Amino acid sequence: MSNKQLPTGTRDEFGTIAMVKEQVTQTIQTNLKNRGFQKIITPLLEYRDVFKPLAKQTYQPYQLIDEHGDTLVLRPDMTLPVARVMSATGIDTPVKWYYSGDIFRVKRRLSGSYNQVTQAGLEIIGYASLKAEWECLITASEICQQLAIPDLTIELSDAQFVAKVLNVLPINDLMQQNLKTALFAKDLTHYAKLIQPLKNDRFYPFLEAWPWLFGDFEAVLQQLTTLPQQPALQNIIGDLKKTKNFLQQHFPTLTVTLDLSVESPQEYYTGMVFKAYSQAANDYLFSGGRYDQLLSNFQQTIQPAVGLAFDIDAIVAQQALQQPPVKTLIYFEPEQWADAQALQANIPNSSLCLTDSSKAAQRIAEQQAAKLIDLTERQA
Amino acid sequence: MTLKIALTKGRTEKQVLPLLEASGIDCSAIRNKGRQLIFNEDPDFHFILAKGPDVATYLDRSAVDIGIVGSDILAEQQNTQYDMLDLKTGQCRFALASTPDFNPNQTKRKIIATKYPNITQSYFERIGEDVEIIKIEGSVELAPLVGLADAIVDLVETGSTLRENNLRIYTELQPISTHLVVNRLALKQKRSEIFQLSANLKRAQQLEV
Repeated sequence: MSNKQLPTGTRDEFGTIAMVKEQVTQTIQTNLKNRGFQKIITPLLEYRDVFKPLAKQTYQPYQLIDEHGDTLVLRPDMTLPVARVMSATGIDTPVKWYYSGDIFRVKRRLSGSYNQVTQAGLEIIGYASLKAEWECLITASEICQQLAIPDLTIELSDAQFVAKVLNVLPINDLMQQNLKTALFAKDLTHYAKLIQPLKNDRFYPFLEAWPWLFGDFEAVLQQLTTLPQQPALQNIIGDLKKTKNFLQQHFPTLTVTLDLSVESPQEYYTGMVFKAYSQAANDYLFSGGRYDQLLSNFQQTIQPAVGLAFDIDAIVAQQALQQPPVKTLIYFEPEQWADAQALQANIPNSSLCLTDSSKAAQRIAEQQAAKLIDLTERQA
Repeated sequence: MTLKIALTKGRTEKQVLPLLEASGIDCSAIRNKGRQLIFNEDPDFHFILAKGPDVATYLDRSAVDIGIVGSDILAEQQNTQYDMLDLKTGQCRFALASTPDFNPNQTKRKIIATKYPNITQSYFERIGEDVEIIKIEGSVELAPLVGLADAIVDLVETGSTLRENNLRIYTELQPISTHLVVNRLALKQKRSEIFQLSANLKRAQQLEV
C-alpha cells in the first residue's frame, strides 16, 4: 500500500473549503453558546454497545478490538454518547448541550460517498414542553439565516403518527405491518395492491393519498378529513400546526412543510421530527426531533430530550466559495520582528515571509501572486 | 422544475421507451441518439443514459432525481432510495441453474457462480445453506460447463440461452422487472413533478394492459 494514498471514503480538506467549514462550525457553536448551551466533548472511540439503539441497517461502523477483547467503534452518531454521559454521570437536568465533531459510517465502496462526516448540534435534555422543540427549530432557522442559506424548507413530521393511524384503522396486525413497510418504502405498486381489498371502506381515499401525504402543510391537512377522529391524532396535528405557525411568525420567508407518511429516523424517536433542506441541496442540512426514549437504553427512568444535528459538509457544499483576497507577504530583518508583526496584525490575509533574503521573498511573492511589503527598504 | 432521469441503456432503454412515450414524454432524441448520452432539450425532463449499476450510483449521489433500472440491480446493490413503481417492462426472473447431473440436495458446500453475489448470498441464507460464491462478470453459463462451479444464479428471460448450453433450471428465485426509483430528497424537492410523472406512467401502464 502506498504511503501517499488515503483509505477509501476519506478525504483531506484544506484551503477555502477548510476555512468555510471552520466558519460554519463557529457560527453554529457561537450561536448556541450565546443562547446558554454548554459544550460537550465525547471521545471518537466508544464501546459498540453504546450504539445499540441505532437501527443496524442504517449504518455500518468502523470496528476495532481493545486489549480485553471488547469491541470498540469510531462513533457513528453524536447523540447516543450524550445519552451515555447523562446516564453515567448523574448530571442535573434540565441541561442544554452543544457539540461538534466527526462521525464515521462505512458507505458503499467506491461510490463517491465519504465515511467521515462532520456534524454540529444541540441536545436539550429535561424539558417535556413543546417549547424545547421550538427552541431547537428557532435556533436552527436563525443559524441558517446567518449562514445565508437560500430558500430553506423545514419539514415537520411525527414519529408516532403512522403507528397511531394504523391503530385506528380496522385492519389486522399483519396488514398493518405490510402496509407500513410499503408506505415507508414508497413502494407504490405494492401499496396499491395491499389497499385494493379496502376499496369500499370510508377511509379508502385517505389510504390512497397516504404515500403522497407530504409537502404543502395545508394541502396535507386537508387529506386527513376522512380519518377517524382520535384525540391522540388531534394532539399530534395540533402540535405540528402550532409549531408551523410559530416558525412562520418568526421567519415569514421560511417554507414549512408537513410529512405524515414518513418513517421515524430511529426507534427511540417519540414525538416531533424535523428536517431541513434547500432546493439546491443534495443532502438534508439538519435533522432532529424529540426522543424521550433516548436514555432508556442506559437507565430505567425516562428523560425528555430534543435534539438536532447540522450536517456541516452539506452546509459547506451550499456556501458560495469566494476566491480569497490577494495575499500580502511581509519581508523583514530579524531586528524588525516587532514592527513586522504589528503590521501583519493590521493587514487582512497577510503573513510574515520568513526568507533570509529580499530576493527569495520576491520569488515567493511572484509564485503566490502576492503583494510584497519589504520592511528592509523602509529602513534604508 | 426539471426532472433529471438516469435511464439504463441498452435493453431496458428499448423496452421502457414506449411506456415513457405513452406517458407523454417526447423520446425522439433518445431514439435518434447516435453516440449521445445526455439529452437536455426537453425543459421538463433531462435524461442521461448509463449502465444499470451506475444508474444506482448517480441516484445515490443526487446527480439525478430518478433512475429507471432493473430490480436485479436494485437488489444486488441493496438500494436505499425510494423504489416507487414497478414499470413491468423487462420482466424476467432469477434462477438457480446447472447441468442435468447437478443434485441440489447433495450434502456439500456448493460452489455457485454468479454476477449477483449479494442476491445469491441472501437466497442461500434464506434456505439455510452456506455456499461458496464465485463472481463472474458475464456468460455465467460457462461456469458449470467447465467445472468452475456446481451451479449458477442468473437472470433468465426465456430460458433459451440455458437450453442451448444444456443447462436446466432447478429453482426460480425472485421475479425481475424495470423499476422507477426516486432519490429520497428529490422526492421532497420536486414533489409535484414526480407525482405527475408517476400518475402519467400508471395511466400509460393501464392503457397498455
